[in-house]
Amino acid sequence: MPERVLIVDDHAGFRGVARRLLQEIGRQVVGEAGTGAEALRETRRLKPDLVLLDIQLPDVDGLAVAASLNAEPDPPAVVLVSSRDAGDYGPRLLGCGALGFIAKADLSAESLMALLEA
Amino acid sequence: MVQRRAIQGGAVALVTLASIAEVNVTLYSDHITWQLTGPAGWPWYLALVDILPGSAFILAGLVAWSLRPRNRVGLLMIGVGAGLLIGSHAFEWRLAAVGFGPVVLDVVGIVGSLWPVVLLHLLLAFPGGLLVSRLDRVLVRLFYVVVPLAALLPLVFGSPGLGDVSQYLPVFDVVARAAGFTYLAFLAIGSGLVIRRWFLGGRARRRSMSPLLWAMGPYAVFLLLLYAALVLRALIWHVSSGDFWLVLLDVSPLFLAGVPAGFLIGLLRSGLDMSSVGDLVVKLSGGLAPEQLQPALAHALHDPSLEVAYWLPAQEWFADLEGRRIELPTPDSEKAVSVLGDPAGPVAALVYDSSLVHEGQLVDTAAAAVRMALENARLQVQLRAQLDEVRQSRARLVEAADSERQRVERDLHDGAQQQLVTLLLSLQATKTEAMRHSDPETARLVDANIAELKKALDELRELARGIHPTILTQAGLVPAIRSLTERCPIPVEVKGDLGDARLAPPLETALYFVVAEAITNAVKHSKGRRMCVSLGRGASLAAIDISDDGVGGADLSLGSGLRGLTDRVAAVGGRLEVKSGQPGGTTIHAEVPCE
Repeated sequence: MPERVLIVDDHAGFRGVARRLLQEIGRQVVGEAGTGAEALRETRRLKPDLVLLDIQLPDVDGLAVAASLNAEPDPPAVVLVSSRDAGDYGPRLLGCGALGFIAKADLSAESLMALLEA
Repeated sequence: MVQRRAIQGGAVALVTLASIAEVNVTLYSDHITWQLTGPAGWPWYLALVDILPGSAFILAGLVAWSLRPRNRVGLLMIGVGAGLLIGSHAFEWRLAAVGFGPVVLDVVGIVGSLWPVVLLHLLLAFPGGLLVSRLDRVLVRLFYVVVPLAALLPLVFGSPGLGDVSQYLPVFDVVARAAGFTYLAFLAIGSGLVIRRWFLGGRARRRSMSPLLWAMGPYAVFLLLLYAALVLRALIWHVSSGDFWLVLLDVSPLFLAGVPAGFLIGLLRSGLDMSSVGDLVVKLSGGLAPEQLQPALAHALHDPSLEVAYWLPAQEWFADLEGRRIELPTPDSEKAVSVLGDPAGPVAALVYDSSLVHEGQLVDTAAAAVRMALENARLQVQLRAQLDEVRQSRARLVEAADSERQRVERDLHDGAQQQLVTLLLSLQATKTEAMRHSDPETARLVDANIAELKKALDELRELARGIHPTILTQAGLVPAIRSLTERCPIPVEVKGDLGDARLAPPLETALYFVVAEAITNAVKHSKGRRMCVSLGRGASLAAIDISDDGVGGADLSLGSGLRGLTDRVAAVGGRLEVKSGQPGGTTIHAEVPCE
């Protein structure tokens, strides 16, 4: 069960909401990142168990970041989030090695728990 | 006019030949007498070897000159003939016999050494008479200087005029070797240039050069066989002077006497006659479509490589029949150009083999015959070029509009939707807090707001998708179509495939909106129960058919939706077709070009 979480999103408002949600379900948020490059750097430095990763990042596509994280030694679990629907990404979501996808509008303590405990 | 010129030329030729023949007859009368009485013996057939090739070149040159006075081929042939005669042993012997000293004989020898260079000049300039290629011009000029030098220097260093010749012997040796190498280099480079010219030339040039091959071929074959025979004989028996094979070698230049005839036939073959232009006029009277003009002119001027370039005044460049820009060849190339019409406002240009360069009058006559047809064709080319420009401009407009839609969609997602999602999550957190503090009334109010916000978000997402679907950019046309059909209230079957490679973005966008519009129309108007989307891709086309089993009645001329789609598909070079019976459902077929 992942305990230490890194939040990756370029919107500070969303990072704040996500931090509160994760803490609500008893997770420790060890860091935050606003870009794909920062996400890779912070993951190597902080060694989180879980990365909550937005797909629309200003520098790199989140799906490509997920694939890079998956290729790291001892990779963290990755949960992708986006303000778009899963249907907007089609088969690309399946091939990136992420644990799952939650549309931001559906993000809640319950949806997160359901995904993490699955 | 041509006949009078031919008669004049023939008369000049006969007089000149008669005078040369007289000189030679006298010369050889002496020679034969001398040969009959002389100790060394000079066989009579050497007289023929000396006189025949040179005389034949001069005679044929005069005929060529009279037939084509503006073409230098005739003069060059006379030059070769004169060189052959001047450089002959008989001429040298004759000069010595009448008492000319060694200096005069050396000068004559040097002038006589020039005939192979003039022959090379002739071969490279044939049949037009001008050296077209810069390389040919430079090398021929160089040979005109170097070859006489190679003949002169050994004479200077071996001359008794220098006193004790023995002290110059080492220099003479070097100079003689250098001269030998110069001749070899001349032969190799000269042959290379002629072969290059043959291969670079079009059919028109090869047609006129081929008689040369027939004329020179036997000489080359004879020499090869003879050398082979001589080598064999030298290996087996001793070759002695007066040997039959050596005699054959001595008389081999006689074959050169046939070469001028080859030049003459080639020159005549390269010539055009008015009858071909007459045929062209007959063809024109029967009506000649613009695309038939170029082949007709090519046929009339015996040059299959001929091209017609049309002047486009608006663009200020020449174009082919399709309106595509073409560059005229540079003056240095193997092609010649005749620009037709007023220099300030040309109509067209003819690009043809440079071997026709001296047939300017006939080229102009042929061009004048087709002038009106060329003018019509030019207008058509101009129209095509303008149409092409409009087509490209329309494609650019559609592409610009598509990228603008994509930008708006991205802004909606990254801006408004992102803010609303964050607000939604905050409201959900507020609701949780209210419930935790046992405040159901607040929780209920917040929940109502959450529901409203979710509705707004859904609408915003639909709006963004309608502007530009993300899945189209992210995953491609087929997943985007599947995503469309999954949200459709009527069951839609998707059949076929578009292959592994994705289509270009403008094509994908055009086809996506065709499917989206067709599905929307079917849902709104068809009353159908089933739909089918068929995909297919060939070597050069991608096609989509969207059909329903509804009431039909769709019409391209009614409503702006289908018309807009037709324009959109046409903008990417495709076409859209609607088949709609009443009843019988509707089928929309769209196809776009692809690689």
